[in-house]
Amino acid sequence: MIAASMTIAAAAILATILLGGCKATPPGRFETSVITTAERKFLVGGKKDKNPLPATAENIADGKDAFSHYCIVCHGLDGQNTGVPFADQMYPPVPSLASKRVQAYTDGQLHWIVTNGLGPSGMPASKGILNDDELWSTVLYIRHLPKAGSLGEPPVYTGDCPAPAAK
Amino acid sequence: MRMRHKLTAGLFAIFMLGTLASHCRAQEPKQIQITAKRYSYEPSEITLKKGETVVLIFTASDTTHGIEIKELGIKAELHKGKPVKLTVTPEQTGRFVGKCSHFCGRGHGSMRLTVNVTE
Repeated sequence: MIAASMTIAAAAILATILLGGCKATPPGRFETSVITTAERKFLVGGKKDKNPLPATAENIADGKDAFSHYCIVCHGLDGQNTGVPFADQMYPPVPSLASKRVQAYTDGQLHWIVTNGLGPSGMPASKGILNDDELWSTVLYIRHLPKAGSLGEPPVYTGDCPAPAAK
Repeated sequence: MRMRHKLTAGLFAIFMLGTLASHCRAQEPKQIQITAKRYSYEPSEITLKKGETVVLIFTASDTTHGIEIKELGIKAELHKGKPVKLTVTPEQTGRFVGKCSHFCGRGHGSMRLTVNVTE
């Protein structure tokens, strides 16, 4: 029964994509609902994995540091897309990490997503790029995000990055 | 006669200083050179003895890296071309894995230094 429902949903989503062509248009409510449910219940692993790092100020700061290496390019310094010009123009849009949709994942699922990425959302895998401590501390940071906008915009979008040296 | 005594005392002093210097050299801890570069440490695995003090000399050869081995109390930033000496006396045996603690690029998460501590 579940398999049949999933097949119908997948067919409906495929039809939507085909009718819409390749444009990165925002997904509809139905599509978002089906994908979110499928991800949370079937597709994203690690549901029962526990974070080995306690939520100390130091570990959260480490997570913020790891997050700042490149996650900020899509998620902003605050994990809530502040200053990211394309965040709502991607297919699907980059979610705010403070949203109920993201916070509903377990710690293990968040770790799994950061580690393995989430296709076809555009979320890349960080396995091998970040070490396991950094992956778990990133989860801590996602659980303790600052107030939206409180950290400003990523320098790459404000023109504050130094220009490449002339050759 | 007095001259002979002075000569003997001088030779004795030189002998003692030599012995002392040699003794001090024998007490100097062993040094291990480790190079950090994208995306590995060379050597990638070392073996230490429990209770024996060693000096690990890290040098980053291409860009800034880091090293962190929590169980051995090691954490340092490694700036390109500037050797960092870390003195360590392991107090527990085991296999400990150090990681790069300064983001250095796409292979950063796979940089590992394994330290085996034996009895």
